[in-house]
Amino acid sequence: MEIEVASGGGGGGGASSSSSGGDIEKGLGRSNGGAGAYLVWEDLTALLPNFGHGPPKKLLHGLNGYAEPGRIMAVMGPSGSGKSTLLDSLAGRLSNNVVMSGNILLNGKKRRLDYGVVAYVTQEDVLLGTLTVRETLTYSAYLRLPTTMSREEVKGIIEGTIIEMGLQDCADRQIGNWQLRGISGGEKKRLSIALEILIRPRIMFLDEPTSGLDSAAAFFVIQAIKNVARDGRTVISSVHQPSSEVFALFDDLYLLSGGETVYFGEAKMAIKFFAEAGFPCPSRRNPSDHFLRCVNSDFDIVTATLKGSQRLREMQRAPDPLMNLAAADIKSVLVEKYKNSEYARKARSRIREISSIQGLDFVTIKGSQARWWKQLSTLTRRSFLNMSRDVGYYWSRIVIYIVVALCVGTLFYDVGTSYTAILARGACGGFVTGFMTFMSIGGFPSFIEEMKVFYRERRNGYYGVAVFILSNFLSSFPFLVAVSVATGTITYYMVKFRTEFSHYIFFCLNIFGSIAMVESVMMIVAALVPNFLMGIIAGAGVLGIMMMTAGFFRLLDDLPKIFWRYPISLIGYGAWALQGAYKNDMLGIVFDPLVPGDPKLTGEHVIKVLFKIPLDHSKWWDLFAVYALIVCYRFLFFIILKLKERAAPIFHSLYAKRTMHHIKKRSSFKRKPSITSKRHYNLHPLSSQEGLNSPIP
Amino acid sequence: MGSSADDVMMEIEACKPQGNGLVVGGLSPLSESLWKDKTNTDVVGDVSARLTWKDLTVMVTVSNGETQNVLEGLSGYAEPGSFTALMGPSGSGKSTLLDALSGRLAANAFLSGTILLNGRKAKLSFGTAAYVTQDDNLIGTLTVRETISYSARLRLPDRMPWSEKRTLVESTIVEMGLQDCANTVIGNWHLRGISGGEKRRVSIAVEILMRPRLLFLDEPTSGLDSASAFFVTQTLRGLSRDGRTVIASIHQPSSEVFELFDRLYLLSGGKTVYFGQASEAYEFFAHAGFPCPPLRNPSDHFLRCINSDFDKVKATLKGSMKLRFESNDDPLDKVTTLEAMRTLIDSFRTSQYYYSANEKIEEMSKVKGTVLDSGGSQASFFMQAFTLTKRSFVNMSRDFGYYWLRLVIYMVVTVCIGTIYLNVGTGYNSILARGACASFVFGFVTFMSIGGFPSFVEDMKVFQRERMNGHYGVTAFVISNTLSATPFLILITFISGTICYFMVRLHPGFEHYLFFVLCLYASVTVVESLMMAIASVVPNFLMGIIIGAGIQGIFMLVSGYFRLPNDIPKPFWRYPMSYISFHFWALQGQYQNDLKGLMFDNQTPDLPKISGEYILEYVFQIDVNRSKWIDLSVNLSMIIIYRIIFFIIIKINEDVTPWIRGYIARRRIKQKNANQNTTVTPFTLTQSPSLRNFVADRPSSSRK
Repeated sequence: MEIEVASGGGGGGGASSSSSGGDIEKGLGRSNGGAGAYLVWEDLTALLPNFGHGPPKKLLHGLNGYAEPGRIMAVMGPSGSGKSTLLDSLAGRLSNNVVMSGNILLNGKKRRLDYGVVAYVTQEDVLLGTLTVRETLTYSAYLRLPTTMSREEVKGIIEGTIIEMGLQDCADRQIGNWQLRGISGGEKKRLSIALEILIRPRIMFLDEPTSGLDSAAAFFVIQAIKNVARDGRTVISSVHQPSSEVFALFDDLYLLSGGETVYFGEAKMAIKFFAEAGFPCPSRRNPSDHFLRCVNSDFDIVTATLKGSQRLREMQRAPDPLMNLAAADIKSVLVEKYKNSEYARKARSRIREISSIQGLDFVTIKGSQARWWKQLSTLTRRSFLNMSRDVGYYWSRIVIYIVVALCVGTLFYDVGTSYTAILARGACGGFVTGFMTFMSIGGFPSFIEEMKVFYRERRNGYYGVAVFILSNFLSSFPFLVAVSVATGTITYYMVKFRTEFSHYIFFCLNIFGSIAMVESVMMIVAALVPNFLMGIIAGAGVLGIMMMTAGFFRLLDDLPKIFWRYPISLIGYGAWALQGAYKNDMLGIVFDPLVPGDPKLTGEHVIKVLFKIPLDHSKWWDLFAVYALIVCYRFLFFIILKLKERAAPIFHSLYAKRTMHHIKKRSSFKRKPSITSKRHYNLHPLSSQEGLNSPIP
Repeated sequence: MGSSADDVMMEIEACKPQGNGLVVGGLSPLSESLWKDKTNTDVVGDVSARLTWKDLTVMVTVSNGETQNVLEGLSGYAEPGSFTALMGPSGSGKSTLLDALSGRLAANAFLSGTILLNGRKAKLSFGTAAYVTQDDNLIGTLTVRETISYSARLRLPDRMPWSEKRTLVESTIVEMGLQDCANTVIGNWHLRGISGGEKRRVSIAVEILMRPRLLFLDEPTSGLDSASAFFVTQTLRGLSRDGRTVIASIHQPSSEVFELFDRLYLLSGGKTVYFGQASEAYEFFAHAGFPCPPLRNPSDHFLRCINSDFDKVKATLKGSMKLRFESNDDPLDKVTTLEAMRTLIDSFRTSQYYYSANEKIEEMSKVKGTVLDSGGSQASFFMQAFTLTKRSFVNMSRDFGYYWLRLVIYMVVTVCIGTIYLNVGTGYNSILARGACASFVFGFVTFMSIGGFPSFVEDMKVFQRERMNGHYGVTAFVISNTLSATPFLILITFISGTICYFMVRLHPGFEHYLFFVLCLYASVTVVESLMMAIASVVPNFLMGIIIGAGIQGIFMLVSGYFRLPNDIPKPFWRYPMSYISFHFWALQGQYQNDLKGLMFDNQTPDLPKISGEYILEYVFQIDVNRSKWIDLSVNLSMIIIYRIIFFIIIKINEDVTPWIRGYIARRRIKQKNANQNTTVTPFTLTQSPSLRNFVADRPSSSRK
């Protein structure tokens, strides 16, 4: 119960953890030395540099504040006021193009808020839709909790978290994706929070956890967060437009407008502050609505436009005193008033007090404490479960492949060894290794969803890139085998290529290699292209080029040497797969000649003369080349992901230096009206969007 | 209305969505009002819409034949000059009530009760009333002014001079407060445009262009921040002050927004909790024992009282052993919201609000007003087709993803093809190479047309919204879409065809070049038409791409390249399929175009040269007796066929599908009733006794 003691000292209020909560803490074996996190920020300024000629845009103007354990703080403000920027800079997640200055102290020390110390719940719930709530939590727990913990302990933590977040009723329901109706938005949000509190972080940030939820769901989410805070954690959350019930749950309020502090202090005292400043809240009004109304300069535009459209008679009738004053003026009055108020003074002294607390230090928890093989097996199992439940991932593809294989089979049924069969066999080989593998693009959307989950978990430091790639390969392996065996068997025996079993094996292996290759190409595309539609177009283009240089549409020999033959046809899998397929198919059989009576044509002759394929290496070398390419492509995928991670911080620091340089040259900032942020317009994450029917990135 | 229950008309009305709302011809009272509006005289004339509804019950069938009442015996009214807000927790039936009133119920929902417009039974189908849906399906590349003025030209009568239309457009822009963004584009996935609140106001502006007297809005403020929500609501209030009847469902209004409502209809679980002046709801709740605490948004409080989800939340929170609710003076902590709801509904039934509302309904339903004409389009067919073509053309030329992106891709692809088959010649190997080249061009290049699919889907969404509101007919849409795409397709195919033709050096001669390009044009247009037809069936973007790719794959397979025409199995693949495939015809034509008249080297120089005709007949197995121009004309006629299919599919979706759904639903109910052997009509099932007595007591014979 050390935590409780610590948080009690910090003014955390009457927090008394239940026995089960204590068990969880003990189970984690981290309660000793665990103390509340006091977060202080001083003179926090954030700039958005403008690389044109304009001045940089100031997003935050020297903000001061603090957050204490056991309390839940709401960061509020009209859209574009810098709520999210403040949250991001406190959590160390500022986007790369924003430059920050100022001090952020955690328990009196300046330190980077790293993964594990802080938990950050983003606005969008990135979850695997096919898993149930309990499964999601279980896999996440196995990924991150120490390997030394026993199964029972982990189970205890999971069940405790489910109960803590009130997810009992939907614990065994699937989360749901575009084709599957699952749990509600509020439940999703609580699950996202549950995932973050699994490893008991000291500080928690939430970005608009209530946006897109109805009042009951929003109330539930905030109530659940409040419970988390009462266990001695520090919770900071931005909220957009809280309803009256939700607003009543917050302890502290940080009201921003245009990047400046309008009010910081206890939420309950804000009403008094506004009344003192001359803007009392009318009794039939939600205080938070009133505060936002006062400082939202968008209302000025509204008023101006309404006046312009001859709706003046309405406006004059309005009893609202605010209508007579522009919100921009109200805001500047409030900002001034706050600066000189006792709230600001109290806050300053409290900041000094907290900054001087030195002793409290706690063990930095790395993102994951599980060993890599544990991560690998957990990820593989999770990914396999996801693939086997998601109809769009592999099942629909298996069906399509079987249908197409049947089409090909009937079209080339019993192809024989006549003269025309030479071309037909060639075309069949070309179609199977070229066009059929092309259809693997169909799994792209599901893969993109999985990548999103990967990015989120990677950011939170759950596991490494290599583990992800390996687990993805392992879990998709059975499906790829199923696809290629089904297709291979149907086409091989319907077309009646050869009678030998070893040729059948080669045929299937070749298809498997080609499909795995297309998957690898699409993975690289997914890593490079942000957008689903662009991904499909780019993927189709790359595969089209590979198909073109495969030697089917133009004989390898005739391909222009400079570009197409030499690098391209060698890196593309098509050429290798097709050469192998031809050799497998035709070596050792004889065809009828064009003119009856001429000597029969041998397969060797056909391949050498007609298809112009050299016979200096065996078909198994061709197969080997395809598999080697798969390994290369996966490795390339790994490098790209790593580069994306590594390169970003380097660019960021360069960027920051350059901006600081710019700022020093300029004496003052010219303030520009803030562009309203579009963050909260997005009520539904893409993953839950009905049927992906819009190509919005 | 007769006083006995059997006299009550129980209409199982499948609310069929119908009629194509095409009203051509004389001025309706509506457009008269429109002229009046312009001169700003006599705004509240006799064209106002008084809507009353009584004993409205909506029953839906669930898959297993169970029926469920979504709305139970609702009564209410909406007057001109007032703004009525429908409020309630999610799932309370707000949207169903709105749909029922506007005649947009789904086919498997059954409506009983009476809805009277100006004292007459009117079917509020497309166009009579304006309906603004929750999602703004607008064309992203047009500016606000363009959007509104195209809409004006689509629907205002032809005889109205353009200058007056322009005045109307401008006044609408001012009315909706869109002056500042009038010349900004609306924005789409790659184009940053106007804000969400502005989009919502554009959606409303388009609907009020025809000056409808009755306006329905489904959650106009959802997804907007407080300032935009306030703005939208304020404009709606303004619209109602001009003598219109405005009904909107609103989810969670902020305090400022709530203050703008005239009348409030509070629903919970399909029952009326309160109906009356919005400002009096406060007293009603206090009276019923649930006073709104100070410093609280009244609407938050009302919803808190009747939202049964809060019960669940509380129960779960109690279950999670974290029961440390701070001491709360909230009276709602002592009772569950279910009890609160029951108390409120009962106290409403005995309240003065209820009686005065009913009195007013009776009074209003007695007054027979004008029959409001359909507010659908009054422009002539040619005007519609012309405007749509122009709009669609502008959209296509501005949307980068529609054709420009494809032009770039096509050029890249054809340059690739051109370099691979560069200067193909007449060697022995070039026989197969020429065949492969043609097949690749017609196969792969047309395949890339899929890239425009997302834009088609967006187009279809806009079409569906406008169609639902009766802006124009299906024919006009199909024709305009075809016409506006033509210049782009010609441009794309000519550029890529020229690149390919001259790089590969296909059969020399202008006539051969022309044929090649025309053939490419025909193929690309066929694919385009095919994809359009698919877009109208498949709701979802991904499915559309997969299905489109599948169909094209099969067409390509039977085109005669992968397997020679004579070898293709006869029963299925050869006989219907290869003749349906446009690839087949394109290849037949192009092979002839390319090979006929050329001489090719043989395998060894000493052997005689091979003539193109011989190759056509024996290697590619092509019918040389048929002229290549016939092949081309088959492909061109396929364009028309696919467009007709597209037209038919839209018509089927509109007319037949809802009818079938309604039929199935009715069958289910019948079966269910037969099985149960009870003949309870939904009316007696759902009617609460108090209401029925009240209605029976009234000396009312005016209805019907």
